[in-house]
Amino acid sequence: MSLAGAGSAASLQDVRLVIDVPDGRLLFGCGDLDLWAEHLVWCYELLGVKRGATIAVQDFGTSPLAFLGSALLMPHLNQGVAERLGGKFICLDATADRVALTPFVLTQLEIDLFVVRAEVVGLLGDACRKAAFEFAEARTRTVVAMDVFEPVPAAMASWRRLLLSESAMLIAPECEWCGCFHLRAGLYRLEDGAIRNLRLKSAQNRPLNDHYVIVREPCAKGPEDLRIRRAGEPCRKWSR
Amino acid sequence: MRSLGDDQAAEADAERWPVERLAAWQLDRLCEVIDFARKETPFYRRLWSEHDLTARKLERLEDLKHFPITTKEDLLRGGSADPTPGEGPVGFSTRGTSGKPLVVWLSAEEEEVYVRPTMRGFRWAGLKKGMTALLTSPVWHRLAACEAHAVARIGGRCAFFWGSILNPRHVESFLRTLDEVRPEFVTTTAPFLFWLVRHLESAGNSHAGALRNVAAIVVVGLPLTPRLREHLCQRLEVGDIFERGGTQEGAALDECAVHSAPHVHEDVCYLEVVDPQGRPVPAGRRGNLVVTKLASAGSIFVRYNTGDIAAFVPGRCPCGSSFRRLKIYGRPESSVEVAGKTIAAYDVRLCLEEDQTLVGRNLLLVREGVQSPQRLLVAVEGAGLNTEELERLLCDRLGLPGAKIMWLGDIRVRWGFREVLDRRELRSMGLNDSRENRR
Ligand SMILES: [Zn+2]
Ligand SMILES: [Zn+2]
Repeated sequence: MSLAGAGSAASLQDVRLVIDVPDGRLLFGCGDLDLWAEHLVWCYELLGVKRGATIAVQDFGTSPLAFLGSALLMPHLNQGVAERLGGKFICLDATADRVALTPFVLTQLEIDLFVVRAEVVGLLGDACRKAAFEFAEARTRTVVAMDVFEPVPAAMASWRRLLLSESAMLIAPECEWCGCFHLRAGLYRLEDGAIRNLRLKSAQNRPLNDHYVIVREPCAKGPEDLRIRRAGEPCRKWSR
Repeated sequence: MRSLGDDQAAEADAERWPVERLAAWQLDRLCEVIDFARKETPFYRRLWSEHDLTARKLERLEDLKHFPITTKEDLLRGGSADPTPGEGPVGFSTRGTSGKPLVVWLSAEEEEVYVRPTMRGFRWAGLKKGMTALLTSPVWHRLAACEAHAVARIGGRCAFFWGSILNPRHVESFLRTLDEVRPEFVTTTAPFLFWLVRHLESAGNSHAGALRNVAAIVVVGLPLTPRLREHLCQRLEVGDIFERGGTQEGAALDECAVHSAPHVHEDVCYLEVVDPQGRPVPAGRRGNLVVTKLASAGSIFVRYNTGDIAAFVPGRCPCGSSFRRLKIYGRPESSVEVAGKTIAAYDVRLCLEEDQTLVGRNLLLVREGVQSPQRLLVAVEGAGLNTEELERLLCDRLGLPGAKIMWLGDIRVRWGFREVLDRRELRSMGLNDSRENRR
């Protein structure tokens, strides 16, 4: 097993978790996960989530959105998203059979934030239509989790967005206040047109190219953060 | 059979207790759970007051039979969504293979209770400190969440492949992780393992010996016949395969190295097998599995009928554990009614595998469109052989008036949790009566 870049882990013995993701492998030692759970909570807060929220995620079980959900799910994670927010968490698998069940699950729960992997939004839309289920925007905030180059699913144009690139361990929220994606200071840096993860050695760089433009004026929600938005798109500010 | 180091003593205790001590422990836990449910769970409070059980105390384990059996439909109707104090922060959705899914909650206290038996089961299967375990994702099932913690506490490393055990296309991704991480221990579902066998067969030599490093695989999801287990071990070149069982509602079972049937972790769950009238049946007889969780944490389940068809195995296991053994044969989606009997795909497999050449061929039970048919109809992969003889064997062994085997030729049946097909679906697969008659 290649060890190049195990989180803080210096040797094979120190790697406690090996998590394979599309086109990559994330290696974590003891205590490495908490940094990322804290970061994911920060992302959710920028998407408007409050303490005590119930969060549902429709993604594969090995996505960071899933495994950072709670300390009950992952060993070597002291506090996951649920514990940090004092809320609840449920992950619904992104396999077609499971997506078909989602409307029935959601009718049993009061969900504050629902995050869906972009590649299954079509399936989910079909399932919701079939079950005559509609998201009540007043109650549930809907977010599509998409990779840097993924096109925005047309049906979800009005949903909030979260950039998710697993092999880079890149999680960047679309900020409620400024409408841009925040690349959090201290975690990511832009180097030669690619996003570099500064805290996880096993993470790969994610090229950005000209799909995004850098936004210069600062945002109070993260003055140090590098902020980007999709080129050619109008500003998507949600609040104020 | 197993050496018990000091660090294992705590887990070993309960399974070595004399029967009376175990029963006393279970009674104490049951009383706690019932008191808790009465106080904190609106659903049970309502249900038990309707049955005049508001003040009923348990004096003996047998008194539990006075409490009504509940089903998923009762819970869905009766407001399972009402939050219970301490139900916990993590939800899991049941599969919904027979109807709508139910959401169950896991708390830290409950997980603490369930990690111990998981460690016990994994030790039975040979997991040791320093090993790497390739696991199913912890978000998939309440028991899977306990598995990663159990591996970590034993001192193992956890590895996860990308994707889902519910998608046959993710076998490739599983193999990539397997090839590169070289785990000694694997947990997965039986259907996924069969997809893997098929994938390896079609891939030729490109993954030869991919599992040679694996000392044990622990599988859930489908009951394995002894021959099917041997077949999998041999095809995959793995040391051993252990059946693990359990439900989101709290049943927890693991097989020991004797492989006679999984042991119930009786220190965390109280299981019953009941007849259609809800009366417990003796060991050796089949009935419906009814689960009571022995922890007043997470979602509470008292006498919950899981819909599984199961039987306790009579007698004690040679391994020395005092925990009873339970074989789960199937569910409504893996069984049919013929001549007033419930026949599971497992039963049919057990018969047909007496012909060694049929081991590993998948089959489907066909549900005919009539009330209590007198004939069992089975669709089996591959070319026909000894048809009359096998049909006679099915009738004799299963006590049926008639049986018919339909050979599927080169049509492949996807291994899955569902093992029953309606006759109409058979036709939509292009299998009509003329095909049925072709041998
Ligand atoms: Zn902002
Ligand atoms: Zn045994």
